[in-house]
Order: sequence, then structure tokens, then C-alpha cells
Amino acid sequence: MQNSGTQKAGLTLSIAFGAVLITVGMEIPAFAQGGIPEGFKKGELAAPPSAEMIEAGKRVYFTKCVWCHGVDGAGDGPGADRLWPRPRNFNQGTFKIRHTASGELPLFDAKKPVRGQNDLFDTVTHGLPGSAMPPWEGILTEEQRLQVLAFVTTQLVKDRSFTDKQSETQTILNMAELKPKSATEESIKRGSELIVEKKCIECHGLEGRGDGNAFNLKDDWGFSIQPANWHKCWNFRGSRQDPYNVVNIFRTFSTGINGTPMPSFADNTTIDERWDIANFVNSLCERDEEGKPLSIDPLTDKPKINFVIPSNMVEGDIPADIENEAWKNAPRRYVAMGGQITHKPRNFVNRIDDIWVRSLYNDKSIAYLLEWDDRTKSVAEGKLPWAPTEVNIDIQEQEPSTGEGGSIAAKQNNYPVYNDAIAIETPVKWKELPAPIKPRYLFGTNEQFPVDIVKWEADGSIRAFKGTGWDKDFEERDNYEEHLKVLKSEWKNGRWYVMIERPLGNKKDQDYDEDTFFEVGQYIPTVFFAWDGHNGDAGRKMAVSAFYYTFMNPPIPQETYIYPVVIAVGVVFLEGWVLTRRANKKKGKTL
Amino acid sequence: MKALMSLGALVGVVGLLLLAGMIFDVIPSNTIRLVEGYMPMQMLFEVGCYVLGFTGLSYMLNAMGMGIPRFWQGIGFWIFFLLYIKYRVYPPIPFSVRAMYGTVGLVAVLMWVSANEEDWKKFKQPILNVLDAQTGFNKVLRYVYLIALPILTWGFSYNVMMPKSEEPIELRTVHPAPPASTKVHGKTYVLQTSLNPYRVNTEGKYDQEYSNSLIVEQGMGRLMKPNANPWDEKAEGYLKYVREGGEIFFQNCHFCHGDNLNGRGLHAFAFNPIPANFTDPGTIAQLQETFIFWRVAKGGMGLPNEGFPWASVMPPWEQHLTADEMWKVILFEYWHTGYYPRTWD
Repeated sequence: MQNSGTQKAGLTLSIAFGAVLITVGMEIPAFAQGGIPEGFKKGELAAPPSAEMIEAGKRVYFTKCVWCHGVDGAGDGPGADRLWPRPRNFNQGTFKIRHTASGELPLFDAKKPVRGQNDLFDTVTHGLPGSAMPPWEGILTEEQRLQVLAFVTTQLVKDRSFTDKQSETQTILNMAELKPKSATEESIKRGSELIVEKKCIECHGLEGRGDGNAFNLKDDWGFSIQPANWHKCWNFRGSRQDPYNVVNIFRTFSTGINGTPMPSFADNTTIDERWDIANFVNSLCERDEEGKPLSIDPLTDKPKINFVIPSNMVEGDIPADIENEAWKNAPRRYVAMGGQITHKPRNFVNRIDDIWVRSLYNDKSIAYLLEWDDRTKSVAEGKLPWAPTEVNIDIQEQEPSTGEGGSIAAKQNNYPVYNDAIAIETPVKWKELPAPIKPRYLFGTNEQFPVDIVKWEADGSIRAFKGTGWDKDFEERDNYEEHLKVLKSEWKNGRWYVMIERPLGNKKDQDYDEDTFFEVGQYIPTVFFAWDGHNGDAGRKMAVSAFYYTFMNPPIPQETYIYPVVIAVGVVFLEGWVLTRRANKKKGKTL
Repeated sequence: MKALMSLGALVGVVGLLLLAGMIFDVIPSNTIRLVEGYMPMQMLFEVGCYVLGFTGLSYMLNAMGMGIPRFWQGIGFWIFFLLYIKYRVYPPIPFSVRAMYGTVGLVAVLMWVSANEEDWKKFKQPILNVLDAQTGFNKVLRYVYLIALPILTWGFSYNVMMPKSEEPIELRTVHPAPPASTKVHGKTYVLQTSLNPYRVNTEGKYDQEYSNSLIVEQGMGRLMKPNANPWDEKAEGYLKYVREGGEIFFQNCHFCHGDNLNGRGLHAFAFNPIPANFTDPGTIAQLQETFIFWRVAKGGMGLPNEGFPWASVMPPWEQHLTADEMWKVILFEYWHTGYYPRTWD
């Protein structure tokens, strides 16, 4: 194997040819065992890919990758300036997700597409969730993925060399021989102590929501970078489409993330300690009511979405305490959020990508409990650049192509701070919407079919708006605000907890021209908006959800208990009839 | 014959094991991917393979003297079919549609077992045996049925009547009828006669044949033709505009429509339905270029009142892009997916 590989490489890269021949003769050097962190073993760079592979890879690169990663692989393609995190700059050979020791090149072998043994191949195959890099499996063949990597590693990585065995070492995390420690209560508890001891919480925050040192961290290229939120494991870059697998966390913790402030902990933790920490971090990832991992939608690699938000009925006042039984029993729904990129000011990078919603109602009002992770509590310091109601304002948006200095990634954390906020939108006459405008536009259809918006902001205000069209300014409804109540609003360790109560609407005469009438047992279209004040979010620069449905669970009607019994009795009679008929037929009698 | 049949039997067993794996969630149902755009064909092919496999299996069992009675074969195949459409297909098919397929499947099975009088008798026999209950076993079975049937019907109807909060189904139109003409940035474009001004050869003349010869190759990966790199510095005419269109696409459109134009962009997971997949042969490949121009320029808002309902949060791009930029993006979309726009003739 080694021989044929070197021969092929020799055709193209005469320098590498020589170097490879030398190392082949050397075998594993004697000093290999010294200074290797626990759990690692000495490895070797793979044989260089063939010239044909590199040439074929160029074709893949210039069809698929160049648009973000750029002609020279400097991460400066046409799409780069509106992305955060920015696309990888390949030139320095700095790669995040690896099985190799801190600072080393990742594993890459153009001939070995084996999961867990070929880091770059895994990255291309499974993508990097939480960034714009998609999984390429099913789009590019395995061979095409290897080809494009052959091109990237030999032609676009410029400061280092995947083929020079003299300048590069490979110290490989020996996952094959490391068996995960079972996630016992004891292990998780020890992990929770270790993350304090090892100072993980300084960046990742007390509850692991990535809020510890969210504003001073920079990557190797000077772009601001945020610590991972341990509660959203599906956004871990190294989750490899298997987010609840503790091995991913163990790997990242052992190798660190090159190019970022996340170091390798291989030198100052034992393997056992690393499993404890990995088990603890894994235990924090969001789970369902029974403690089982959320099911992940293979189409999006995010938690599966249920678009119906059930609301349970309570007697008397709706409790303002989250720990109350009624809230605890209320089903929780994951609401996915995308950037509002349809109208100016557009939000290409939304820092809030999901919220968790629960709801309760009583005879007078309905309450929503909204919880979402936001690394910073933001309360406006100055005046907004535009009124919160305005849309399509004439502003200078993010230039599409400004060079690195003017990119969104460079501007992160330098925005003026506005209010964090959340809003719930419902169409006013949801029952009467005629079919052509049935899939209600965000922001209302027209004057006749407006939407009712209730917005809470971090300065403590709660306001109501009316939206009358996709590109119309909102109108503030001064006379409605007194009916709204904020039962709770608290920011704690990187998470907002906001509880909003609003009237069910006019029940008596169903005259609801301005505010939504919430009817029991009906699907009431509901949209959520969220603003992160530290992301420069204000007005229409926000995160939006799709249309969900609020469904107020009706009491169970009596018929539910009666009719099935009637039907069952009917079946018994039917059975008797069939049997009698059959028996008579056999005896020769006819009815 | 025997070798062929044992091969068939092997296929059947492997297929059943795969399906069982998918049912018990040992194997994710997208292990063997349903190729986008060819899903119905692929499913028909797979079920065909299963039928061949079962034929082989049944032959082998008969040869070994362990044949399955026709009655259980019929029921078994129907159950298999129900499980197949429930667990094999991702994204899942709604129950109402599955019920329809299930009924069709049941009819097919009944047709098969009643193909001739002999078979039909064989099929009926076990049912009559239980009804007549002449052996002890059949007697027990008859009582079990007598008791179980009412209980099951009760449970089923109770379940149906219990108020539920399942997502309501909303139908939508995918391709609404276009208007005759559209006005963008003050200029009127007649959809029947307008041409993409950037679909030009190196001399600057409109040339559909030339541009169609330079689109990416169909087939896995959809890669560019070896000598048609839009990023070539010397690229002129069509290819140069493809690159410019791609730049606009990756600054504005990929957030939803995705890096591979398959509707799986960065923000796509938050939308319902997810954005259009241009690599599916049912989208832009079926449409004229001017239709796309109208859709891009006017977005979801510009959709007509006829042909409802639709569901689109596509913005009217005329608010963000010039007409030239929109034409270039369209050029890029056809190039990148390897489709020809439909022509009016």
C-alpha cells in the first residue's frame, strides 16, 4: 500500500516523493512514546493523493465549494461576508474537528473513507451544524468527497503540508481502544465538579449555555467567536449527525478546537475524568419529558418540529411560578427560528435559533411561557436607529462583498446594544381568512385581515401592535396594552424566562376586529419573533418562526365515553347474527 | 430454477431484515436513501424486488415442506405493505395517504387470492373453519375473536373520538398560473416573449443551445463540464454571467434554498414547508425562465388569487435586486442544477 501510494505521488510532487521515501524507511521513531498524552498514539501522515484525484477534486471545488471558500481557499468566497461563523480559510491548515493532538493537522487519507478515521472526510460528509456548511453525503459521492479534499489539502492549504512527514506529526486519539464510561449519576456528578475545577464554566457559563465570556473570545483570524451552548448538542460542529453521542464530546475535549480559544485538555485530565466531563456535558443537552434524547429530523439535523402548541386549562389564576405543577405538566414545544431576510433591515445571522414554548389558559386569558437561550442580557443603551414598527427603511445593509474587515463576522459584538425582545403574532380573523390568503403572510395580510402582535422587551415594557401587510409599518395599539400582563421576565445564566398573559378575546359577541379571539379546540395560527439586542436586532431585524398553531385543549366531551360503548355493543349483536346465520346454513335451514 | 429461487429467497430475507431494522429503529430509514425526484419509481422498484424475493421464499419453503397457507400469505403481504409505507419512507407519509395506499394494497391482495376459484376457496377456508369451530382449537379461537373484536372496536373508536391536537393538513399549490406579463423596476416583461438577456454566447448573442451545452453534468454530484469553469478568468458570455449569478445567489438566496440548491439552507429548518428544492425535477426543470423571473421578482406576495392555496414566504426580490441581477441568478440556478429551462415551443 505504502509503496503504490508513494509511487503515484511521485508523479506529481517530487519533493513529497523524497520525503515520503525517507519516512517509509524510518519506521516509527523510538522517541514516539515519550510525551504523548493519555489516550493518544503515534500515527503517520497518509500517502499523498494522486494527481488525477487532485485534478478531479478541482472540478468539484469549483462547482460546489468556491462560492463560500473562495478561489484561493481563503474563506473569502462571494457568500463569506454575510456568514457568521465565516467559511473556513484553508490556507493556514487550521481545522477544528480532529482526532489529532492540539495544533496538528487533522486526519486525512484520500484512500480511506472510514468514519472516525478520516476527519476531513467526516466533516464534508456530515457538515458542520450551526454553520452554513451542509452535509454533502447524498449530494457528492464518496469518491467525489475524497477528490475535493485531495484538492483542498494539497493546493489550498498553503502554510503547512499534509504530505511533509518531516514538518508534521500525527498524534492520534485512539478512540478504538477507549470505551465510553457509562453515564452513571456518579460520573455525571463528578463531571459537574470537574467543569468548575477545569475552568470550563469561565467560557461556557455556569449552566453551560455559552454565556461565560461571550464577548472577548476571538479565533485565529481575529473574528469574534462564541463558546458552545451545551444544551444544543445538535449545533455542536463536531456532532457528526449523531448529537447525543458522548464520544463526540470526549473527542473535542481531548483534542481541542484548533484556531479557537478551546484548548485540548489531554495533558491535564485523565481519560476517566474526560469521560466524566463528556457524560456531564452530554446530560445537559435538551431532552424530552421522559429524559430521552429529542428525535432529530434527518432532513434538517435539528430536533423534529411539532407545529401544534397545546395549551392546558387551569382553574383560577394562571400561576406565575415556572415550578408550579400546571406549568410542569404543560407540554413543551421546540420552535425553530430563522433570520428575517425578506425585508430590510435583513437579519442574515440570527443568534437566537430556537425557543421553547409552553402555554396555559383559564376562562379569561391565555399565557405563554417562552424560554430561549441568549448569551447576553441586552437592555438598550441608546436610541434605536429606526422605529421598532418600521419596515423597508432606507438603510445601508451589510454589503455583500466588503472584504473581511467589513463582514458580518468582523462586526459581531461591535453593534450598539438594543433590547432583547420576544413577540407573539396571531392573525385577528383567523377563522374568516378566505382561502387565497389562508397561508397568512408574516406581518398580516391587509387592512381587512390584520395580525395582532404582542411584544415584550427587556426594558420591561409590553406593547401591542397591529400588522396590516407584509411591507407595511406596524401600528401601535395604545388602548390594548393595559390588558397585557408580564407574569415573569428573568434572565439567568444565558437564558430568558418570559411569561406573557393576554386576554382570550371578545367571547360574547365574537366581535374581534382588532385582537385575536382564542377559541377552545381550534387551531389558532401563531408566529414567534425574537430579538437579540447584542446582535443589533431591532425592528424587523429579528428572528422569525414559521406558522405554529396554538391549540387550547378542550375538556373531554361526554360523547367520547358513550359512543364507543354503543359501537362495541353493536359489534356484539353483529357477531351473534353472523354466527346464527352460519349455524342455520349448515343445518340446512334458511331464514 | 432452484438456484434462481434461492437467490430470490435470499433477497426476500435480507429485505425483511432491513425492514425489521427500520421498524425497530436499529437501522435509520434513510440508510438507503430515497433519491429525490425518483421516489415513486424507487418505491415501486423496491416493492417489486420484495415481491420477487417473497416468490423465491415461498418456493423454497414449499420445497422444504414448510409452505405457508395462501390465507397467511395474503395477510402477511398486506401487513408487510403497510409496514413498508409506514417505516421505509422518510419524510413520513400522513396517515390519510397511507390509508389510501393500504386500501389499494388490500384490493390487490384480494384480487390475487381470488384469481381462480381454487385459490379463493383455499383463502376462505381458514375463516370458515373458525366460524364453524369444529375442533377444540378453533372453538377457543372463535371465543377469542368474539371477545376481542368488540373490545378492539371500542378502543379504536374511543381513540378516534378523544380530542387530539394533531397538526391540521394544509394543502397548497406548488406552481401557480403565471400572469401574461409582469412589471419589474418600471419595465414590462411579457412572459411569452421575454428572454434572459444573459443567456448569450461569447459574441453576446442570445444562444440557448450554447448555454445548454455548458450546464453541469447530470448524474451524481452534478459537476461542471471539465472545460466550462465559470471561475476561469477567461470565461466570457454565459459562463461569466453564471459566476456573477452565483455570487448573488450565495449572498441572498442560499440562506433558504441551500448551498446545493436543494432547499436545505441555513434557515430552512425553521420554515414550513421548507423552501423549494431546485434539484428536484419537478421544480425549475418544469418551468420557463420567464416564470422564474416573475416568481423571483414578485415573491410569495405576488402570487395570484387564483390557484390558491399556496404557502410562500419568498420575498419580492425586486426590492433587493435589480432585474439584471435576478436574470443572472436564474441563469446560475439552471447551470448549477443541470436543467434546461422549458421553452414555449
